Amino acid sequence: MKNPAHALFLLFALPISAGEPITYDNLPLGSESKPLLLSTYMPDPGLDEAYFAHHGKSAKSPKYNPGTGKDIPGEYDPIKGLPASLGVSFGPALSYAFDTVECRIAYAWQGGFLDMYPYWGDPVRGSRQSYDYVPQLVGILFHKANPMSEIFVDGKRLTDLDHPKFVGYNLENGTPAFLFSRGGHEFKLKVTPNTKTPLSFSFTLSSPDKIAITYDTPNGDRTTNTLTRTVTGTALGNFQGFPRDMKIKEASVANGRKLFDGLGCSACHSVDGSLGHGPSLAGLYGSKRPIEGTQELVHADEAYILESIKNPGAKTAKGFPPNYMPPYILKDLEYQSLVLYIKSVAKGQ
Amino acid sequence: MKLSSILTLLAVVATASADDYTKCYQLDDIALPNGVPPEVGGLTFSSDGWLYVCLRRSDVFRAKPGEDPKAFDWKLFASGFHNGCGIYSPEPGKILVTQMSDLTSATDTDGDGVADQYRIVADDWGLSGNYHETNTFCPDGKGGYFLAIGTASHNGSVFEHTKGEYSVFGRRGRNFSSVKNRGWILHLDKNGVITPWASGFRMANGIYTDPDGETWSGDNQGDWKPVTPFYHIEKGNFYGHPSSLVWDKNWPKDKDPLLTYRNDLDAYNKHRTEAAVLVPYTVCRSASEPIMIPRNGSFGAHYAGQYILPDNNGTRLCRIMVEKVDGVYQGMVTYLQNGGGLRSGNNRVAFSPDGKSLYVGQTVRGWGAPAEGLQRITYKGGTPFDISTIHITPDGFRLTFTGDIPDLSANSFQVSSATYQPTWVYGGVAQNKQKHSVNKLAKTDEHTVAISITDFVPEKVYEIKLPDLKAADGSLLNNNIFHYTVHKIPGASKRSGLPF
Ligand code: HEC
Repeated sequence: MKNPAHALFLLFALPISAGEPITYDNLPLGSESKPLLLSTYMPDPGLDEAYFAHHGKSAKSPKYNPGTGKDIPGEYDPIKGLPASLGVSFGPALSYAFDTVECRIAYAWQGGFLDMYPYWGDPVRGSRQSYDYVPQLVGILFHKANPMSEIFVDGKRLTDLDHPKFVGYNLENGTPAFLFSRGGHEFKLKVTPNTKTPLSFSFTLSSPDKIAITYDTPNGDRTTNTLTRTVTGTALGNFQGFPRDMKIKEASVANGRKLFDGLGCSACHSVDGSLGHGPSLAGLYGSKRPIEGTQELVHADEAYILESIKNPGAKTAKGFPPNYMPPYILKDLEYQSLVLYIKSVAKGQ
Repeated sequence: MKLSSILTLLAVVATASADDYTKCYQLDDIALPNGVPPEVGGLTFSSDGWLYVCLRRSDVFRAKPGEDPKAFDWKLFASGFHNGCGIYSPEPGKILVTQMSDLTSATDTDGDGVADQYRIVADDWGLSGNYHETNTFCPDGKGGYFLAIGTASHNGSVFEHTKGEYSVFGRRGRNFSSVKNRGWILHLDKNGVITPWASGFRMANGIYTDPDGETWSGDNQGDWKPVTPFYHIEKGNFYGHPSSLVWDKNWPKDKDPLLTYRNDLDAYNKHRTEAAVLVPYTVCRSASEPIMIPRNGSFGAHYAGQYILPDNNGTRLCRIMVEKVDGVYQGMVTYLQNGGGLRSGNNRVAFSPDGKSLYVGQTVRGWGAPAEGLQRITYKGGTPFDISTIHITPDGFRLTFTGDIPDLSANSFQVSSATYQPTWVYGGVAQNKQKHSVNKLAKTDEHTVAISITDFVPEKVYEIKLPDLKAADGSLLNNNIFHYTVHKIPGASKRSGLPF
């Protein structure tokens, strides 16, 4: 992590097991060794209505004039979101939403975490986006919970067990393990990234009770009250956070640097040769680049850099997993500025 | 007598006349870790001397305070909280935090200085998805807690799917209570049993139980809160903001409380419980966490046992004195400190274990222009020239000065009164305004003077101004505006009959 805000923290001796503190950086990111957990409002990326079995259902409401104390024409529309969820980030490897109301993994994505800008606001003004304050996803969504769980407990679907009740969580070497009860049983759920397969995660669901926990089949053995499983999904959507107009009027190195920090590139890429979640961009431009799945070196010219930003999946830099970098849809002047900036750091700084 | 003790004695006599407030009370800016948004949602001292500070984006830091305000050795203790706006440490290595959806404990079970076990302690309230639904709490002094559950604002939305049941009537109005127990104070006893305690709050952003076991809260001036109230909290009362009534089991299910009371202020006035002390808008705009100034004089004997009510929307801390008349609390408000380097956004307060320093945590981010941080006010000794108490008498007030009574005449005083009727309108105007004159003035002891007031009736807020008052040595009165809320006049059975 090489942006100035992060660099400041290197000055602070923090306890070994503590994660990094939250800063003004609106694109916080955990890592595999120090996952980040945030209890927060989270977006609802189109979960099925039936998923929300234990939520309340709101409604449109008449618009109100606080001056006269009377209703006025028009209605307030409810907005989408998960009210009581825990977002967990393992860095670009995995992010997921644990919903404390349904006691389920609501969805999972890769290549980023949450853009808190709409909620936390920019550092100076600090004000949320009026009616659009729900943090937004960054990365590639690959898993959404089915209304009916694929997990069976003693032959019954987990989602058919009543009274889901969130108990809390333990941090096991920093990784959260959620505790909840449901249908009179206690459960523990631990989710970890699966770096071997793109767009996947692993979980272990266990119970202290003598119950059979099985996947996709109601039949199981009561002596194995633990289920470990890898879930692999497919790309369901790309997200790049809250659309921000950085007011770029011309392509320049300076604007490129502004975008590089503002869009959160700096959370994954250094410009001084040091390793981050992604390759350092120092020395990239003009080099011969080894690519995953081919012996041929690729010339890192402007076209390659542009492609890497627009469609990172096209070629994956050697030694890095695919899907860790989300595609960025930007304006032409913004692409050009980023390329100019990356060219300018070719020799390191 | 030894020479040294003679010198001490002389010093005491010398300072007893009048000291500049800023000499008696030193203000420091406490540095939080560099680069961390210092939005203080909560702060508390644990029994083992840690100062815990809960920041609103996620993190809880702790430090053992030292003299140098810039050199606190902050350590990240816990993190992940959603707008944590209340914190308390029930035992070493354990904290409780009220976040938007629940009260959660965080415990360091392996002693490495970082919490690893998080547990839901209470969540008997809903969360609509509105940004405004923050919560806070305080210990009840008996092993349990009082929780103040905030309402939503019409400047934000609700989610399609809410945590907990949704109420159509509760959704209406400016600040609203669309999900369970929003706008309530709840009681959580030491066995974990939760009971709805009192309703009618807009945003009791701060709640406090004093050493006598009496519970106090402010509320946020706004709809149904014409001015800042200082409430004495008792079980079963309704404190005036109607939306929360949808979650009262005695309120008819088919009745919209907002509409009902908008159209029937008489019924409303009968139902509601008035504030012990009303604090006009010019004095405090947005009350936050009250706290009692230590009775042992560690923060100055002249203010001991009075309450501090910080202003979240002004650079000031109010000072409140209450007394019970005919079984009802009422009293006086003025400033402890107004300006003098104090930031706005005053949100949470805690006294250091020695009772000499008041830590003040500030934040308004998301509500107004940022005023974020942590400050400390330390009592250095001495006595500012001030009026320490104002007590009511059958025909006026008894004012006690911190030092000798200065030269006074009836003309030294400007007295006026007003009433405030809560309505659906945001804020409120003073009604039944009246000027009073002082028709008698008498010294009752060397520090105290009694004044009698013309047309002295109950159920009004009296403003007492002493614009040009100077001490014998020429120093100005630290505060020269006082407001006394008169519910009852001792020994009198008269009622003003005014809507109060
Ligand atoms: C969440 C982490 C992450 C973020 C954010 C991110 N990247 Fe990447 N990026 C990666 C990873 C991992 C790779 C290597 C794998 C690949 O090529 O997809 C990469 C590859 C690249 C490459 C090719 C590097 C090489 O050595 O071949 C460029 C250029 C690049 N990123 C630019 C950007 C820019 C510009 C941004 C911001 C607009 C950005 N990245 C944001 C993770 C990230």
